[in-house]
Amino acid sequence: MSDALKKVAIVGVYESAQARRLNRTPEDLYKEIVLGALNDAGLTIKDVDGVVGGNPLLNEGEGRGMPGSVFAEYFGTELRYSGQALTATQAPALGILHAMEAVATGRASTVLVAMAAATPGFGVAGGDSGQSVSGDQWLSPFGLARVGYYGMFAHRHMHEYGTTPEQLARVAVNHRKHALLNPNAIMHDRGPITVSDVLGSRMIYDPLHLLDCSPVNEGGGAIIVTTEERARSLKHPAIRVLGFAECYSAVDIFHLPSITAFDGNGGQSGRDAFAMAGVTPNDIDVAQISDHFSISPIIELEDLGFCKKGEGGAFVESGAVELGGKMPINTNGGYLSHSHAGSPGIFDIIELVRQLRGEAGERQVPNARIGLHHGVGATYISAQTAILARD
Amino acid sequence: MSEYQKPLPTPTELTQPFWDGVREEKLLVQKCSGCGTLRHIPKPWCANCLSDDYTWSQLSGKGEVYSYTIMHRAPATSFQTEIPYAVALVELEEGVRMISNLVGVPIEDVKIGMPVKVVYEHVNDEAALFKFAPA
Ligand SMILES: [Zn+2]
Repeated sequence: MSDALKKVAIVGVYESAQARRLNRTPEDLYKEIVLGALNDAGLTIKDVDGVVGGNPLLNEGEGRGMPGSVFAEYFGTELRYSGQALTATQAPALGILHAMEAVATGRASTVLVAMAAATPGFGVAGGDSGQSVSGDQWLSPFGLARVGYYGMFAHRHMHEYGTTPEQLARVAVNHRKHALLNPNAIMHDRGPITVSDVLGSRMIYDPLHLLDCSPVNEGGGAIIVTTEERARSLKHPAIRVLGFAECYSAVDIFHLPSITAFDGNGGQSGRDAFAMAGVTPNDIDVAQISDHFSISPIIELEDLGFCKKGEGGAFVESGAVELGGKMPINTNGGYLSHSHAGSPGIFDIIELVRQLRGEAGERQVPNARIGLHHGVGATYISAQTAILARD
Repeated sequence: MSEYQKPLPTPTELTQPFWDGVREEKLLVQKCSGCGTLRHIPKPWCANCLSDDYTWSQLSGKGEVYSYTIMHRAPATSFQTEIPYAVALVELEEGVRMISNLVGVPIEDVKIGMPVKVVYEHVNDEAALFKFAPA
């Protein structure tokens, strides 16, 4: 753990209701999560002097100004820091990094990272949602949406390593199982699913079936980062970030040497984050691994070194990644069954904080002390790893 | 002839020669004058040696399927009548990869490693697309 990171702690988290449609404005949702995270931390709006991330209030009124200026005006405060993190899915998770850097360098003392996704108006915190085919001369004439890449990743992984559709399906089955233990998961009341349910659901991007794909839904979440000193007087045990690293390799898959390993050459961000944290994969008690599609965590588990390259499918099938297994992942239900709203990386960090505080209820991993988040960008070509721990 | 409804390429100055080549039934990629590296998609300089100089080099059009997906959900309404259809990441024998549709093969017969060759579709008076068919 670097000296800079020692000065910083995560002290507040909040997650709104998650639903297909919330039927509320993004502005209203934003206010709820901002106040919710502050309340969780035992802080007030006057304590906030920095923000990171998209701010739906930019859509309000005359729609002008920097996110920080708009925040200051609407919440009647004054900020010293306004940061942006611009990758669609992982923006808020990366936002934590910007927040920590701002606090560690003394540019701000308490920074809010928030993500509110509700229609109409502001949704994803920057970046291409990947859902549209317009404007891309290399994909749109051929009817390929960027999300279709995941079908290509899956086929190649199956080809190189013998991964099976049943193993892919097992990811969705496991995450649904976890969602049933999380009252805030959108699939909480939908009951369990089986491997045959997944394989029997309609095909979307072959070999990925409907239940291999995350839903499109709405929701928000927020996180408060402050100084270690401040954290000591607050109500929850401080959650520390032991290590955090990123890897960027390409914009598009034309340029990747391999499409079955995305975190650089052999898990770059994972390696860097483990080294910074001074821990190994064996030390991780609980992990949140981006699962836009069932193939993703299989590849990410390999990249992180939780299993050997090519063995991700078998690792999942062994039950190791379920609650009660040796490396439980996506205990909140993941993007597949908890929420894929906006930039869902924020829910990964929130879930780890809850697990490390021991607040995860029925889905609590006993004595969870060190947690890991790994996220990949919308087209898999950026990745980051964060390793969190309870003080 | 009914009007072509699907999205057409929207070339930039940099990519215009590629699409002009397709119209003339040539598959062109940039070849770095500094180090000889071939590159697709077009870029103003070579990522290998950073040289700004390049020529357009014609590929054989032969390659193999590196990976693929079958689209069962149309990403735009104009593709609704086409689903399911195959989109492949094709590795050309010169080493560059391109994405396009696989045609002339039933979707259930698409396999990684299958040899393919480029074919051209002149979709209207102005535009043509490159696609791949079994070789
Ligand atoms: Zn060169």
